[in-house]
Amino acid sequence: MTQTVMKIDDLHLSFPVSRSLLDVVQRKPGKSVNALNGVSLELKQGETLGVVGESGCGKSTLARCIVRLYAPTSGQIHFEDENIFGAAARKDRSYNRRVQMMFQDPYSSLNPRMSTGDILAEALRVHQMRPESEIAARVAELLELVRLPQDAADKLPHEFSGGQRQRIAIARALAVEPEVLIADELVSALDVSVQAQVVNLLLELQDRLNLTILFVAHDLRLVRHVSNRVAVIYLGRIVEIGDSETLFSAPSHPYSQALLSAAPSLDPDDKGAAIQLEGELPSPLNVPSGCPFHVRCRHVTAQCRTVVPVLRVLEGRGEVACHLAEEVNQHA
Amino acid sequence: MTDHPILEVENLCTTFSRGGTALPAVRDVSFALGKGQVQGLVGESGSGKSVTLRSILGLARHYGEVSGSVRWQGQELTTMSERQLRKIRGREIAMIFQEPMTSLNPLLTVGTQIKETLTAHTDLGRRARRDRAIEMLDHVGIPAAATRLEEYPHQFSGGMRQRVMIAIALAASPKLLLADEPTTALDVTIQAQILDLILKLADEMSMGVVLVTHDLGVVAQTCDTVSVMYAGRVVEQGAVRQVLRTPRHPYTEGLMRSVPQDVPPRTQLYSVPGTPPSLFSLPEGCAFAPRCQAAGPACQTARPTLQDIAPGRQTACFHPLPATQEDAA
Ligand SMILES: Nc1ncnc2c1ncn2[C@@H]1O[C@H](COP(=O)(O)OP(=O)(O)OP(=O)(O)O)[C@@H](O)[C@H]1O
Ligand SMILES: Nc1ncnc2c1ncn2[C@@H]1O[C@H](COP(=O)(O)OP(=O)(O)OP(=O)(O)O)[C@@H](O)[C@H]1O
Ligand code: SF4
Ligand code: SF4
Ligand SMILES: [Mg+2]
Ligand SMILES: [Mg+2]
Repeated sequence: MTQTVMKIDDLHLSFPVSRSLLDVVQRKPGKSVNALNGVSLELKQGETLGVVGESGCGKSTLARCIVRLYAPTSGQIHFEDENIFGAAARKDRSYNRRVQMMFQDPYSSLNPRMSTGDILAEALRVHQMRPESEIAARVAELLELVRLPQDAADKLPHEFSGGQRQRIAIARALAVEPEVLIADELVSALDVSVQAQVVNLLLELQDRLNLTILFVAHDLRLVRHVSNRVAVIYLGRIVEIGDSETLFSAPSHPYSQALLSAAPSLDPDDKGAAIQLEGELPSPLNVPSGCPFHVRCRHVTAQCRTVVPVLRVLEGRGEVACHLAEEVNQHA
Repeated sequence: MTDHPILEVENLCTTFSRGGTALPAVRDVSFALGKGQVQGLVGESGSGKSVTLRSILGLARHYGEVSGSVRWQGQELTTMSERQLRKIRGREIAMIFQEPMTSLNPLLTVGTQIKETLTAHTDLGRRARRDRAIEMLDHVGIPAAATRLEEYPHQFSGGMRQRVMIAIALAASPKLLLADEPTTALDVTIQAQILDLILKLADEMSMGVVLVTHDLGVVAQTCDTVSVMYAGRVVEQGAVRQVLRTPRHPYTEGLMRSVPQDVPPRTQLYSVPGTPPSLFSLPEGCAFAPRCQAAGPACQTARPTLQDIAPGRQTACFHPLPATQEDAA
């Protein structure tokens, strides 16, 4: 049950930034956006790993590396002990079917000129999931699965609302019966009732098909609900990872604490006690030295400014990358 | 409640046609918005929230049929010429669209797009436009703004693109902001920061806001009033406290129950049974009847209209849920 299906090792990825004319004239060196700065994690068979963190911290970049849309600058990803960027794995198309990504922005990933039925049929044909004679029936089944009306098959993506389009993307990913699902902001565009349906569907399919899910989302209530484990990313690094319930009820890293405290309450009179983050916002163009969070952390010490904290086990909690994890959590 | 409403929407209807059949996307939506007031719009996917905003701004009439009235500071927008409307759009009324990638031009740098808005809607000079662009990116929490002005939309993360859209909308200090899920792609800390910024502008600049969101926490924390839409119609509206605490319409109650709060992890969540009706074949009576546990015989044949059930509180239901003590007070 706790078999590792995917192992990510020290993944780095930086995007070069185009130099402006002024930079060229002034002979400034080219800059780069350091989107991933050493991410390591394991995905276990049948689990849901939630991934949360600030917008721009590298969640989608990580997801895109896993489905080989981006090649990392350094580091490795192994799927069932095979390096997915190795020559053998690159030739093998089955990885593309077994690991499916569902995108944040379904509109740009759905062909605007193809009807929903054709989009689903194409996915089924490309990976030869069904003989030609069974495709129509399977398309109907998939529409049913994501609760789209049957007449949806003939419509074009622009004829749907945002939430309906998201369900088309889900149906397409599920069409090829994947083993690992990378869900990047899968339900963010859905209303709560449909969100609940999709989440129920995911949990049910996960049970039935032993699916492994990487669930990237901003809605912390939702991440808490679906995840077995959760990783908190800050500026391209995991700063905390551990059991979902433990992490949500007692976040240990100062950034996790600030993040979790900002979730808006359902009670209009509960203004909450959001921990205000001070200092300048971090930029992946210029990752701070030492602990990447030190420019905003209230607990910062001299050591934090120079030494990068590594992930280590904190007694009774998960793994935390903070020099002062014990002190910070003394009173909790 | 307020002095003069700045925006009055009355019986707004928008109909599309597809292959000769009429598609009633928005039906009889009415609400009024005072200066500096924040009105939420929630409802099932496909219930007509985005079309409502597009109809207010005069965009929907290019591809659909719009009737009813939208009065902006006393002027009727539905009959206004496109030329006049263009003077109001972007300057007085700004809109943040739901899908940032499709509304940003992929061929122009982010800086150019913000500066274009400023050229069109303000009298700022070249230098001042650049400064204002940097200031706006700063406000919405994009670090190293000066460098990132030179970048193209695909070089930004999803949430950063959304923040660029917000910066563009707010750059010309509009008097009314129509925001379609502005914080959906943002993490909670940035979300809080942007909602604070919007609330501050609402307060200090008397900017009115219509906020479409499906995050009921955001509604609770930001809106004064809220309308709940279902199949193109408003089924319940009123002050946020009352609507969220004691929903009177069964659909609103279903939404509240769907939020994963106080439920054991990884168990099935409550969700309103069934699927929303197709707009092509709406039920004869109440559109919610096929999914409603409270439905009676009347619900199958007649359509409930919005009725006042308390001061400032309306619902469209033959069998509204009971009010509580607090609600009556
Ligand atoms: N340009 C269009 N042409 C035809 N039908 C349209 C058009 N735009 C929207 N619709 C239809 O109008 C209805 C309302 O759509 P709208 O986009 O307002 O939903 P919404 O409430 O914003 O949903 P979501 O929460 O998913 O964004 C939907 O059934 C949609 O399919
Ligand atoms: N193709 C690209 N070219 C250049 N920079 C990029 C590219 N894709 C992403 N980036 C940069 O990498 C960083 C991480 O982006 P990413 O999309 O992974 O963030 P994210 O965590 O998914 O954020 P969000 O929550 O907003 O979706 C950002 O600074 C972004 O601008
Ligand atoms: S290492 Fe230092 S700066 Fe970083 S989170 Fe811990 S206390 Fe704060
Ligand atoms: S009118 Fe009838 S069917 Fe409609 S919401 Fe009320 S009780 Fe339910
Ligand atoms: Mg992303
Ligand atoms: Mg919409």
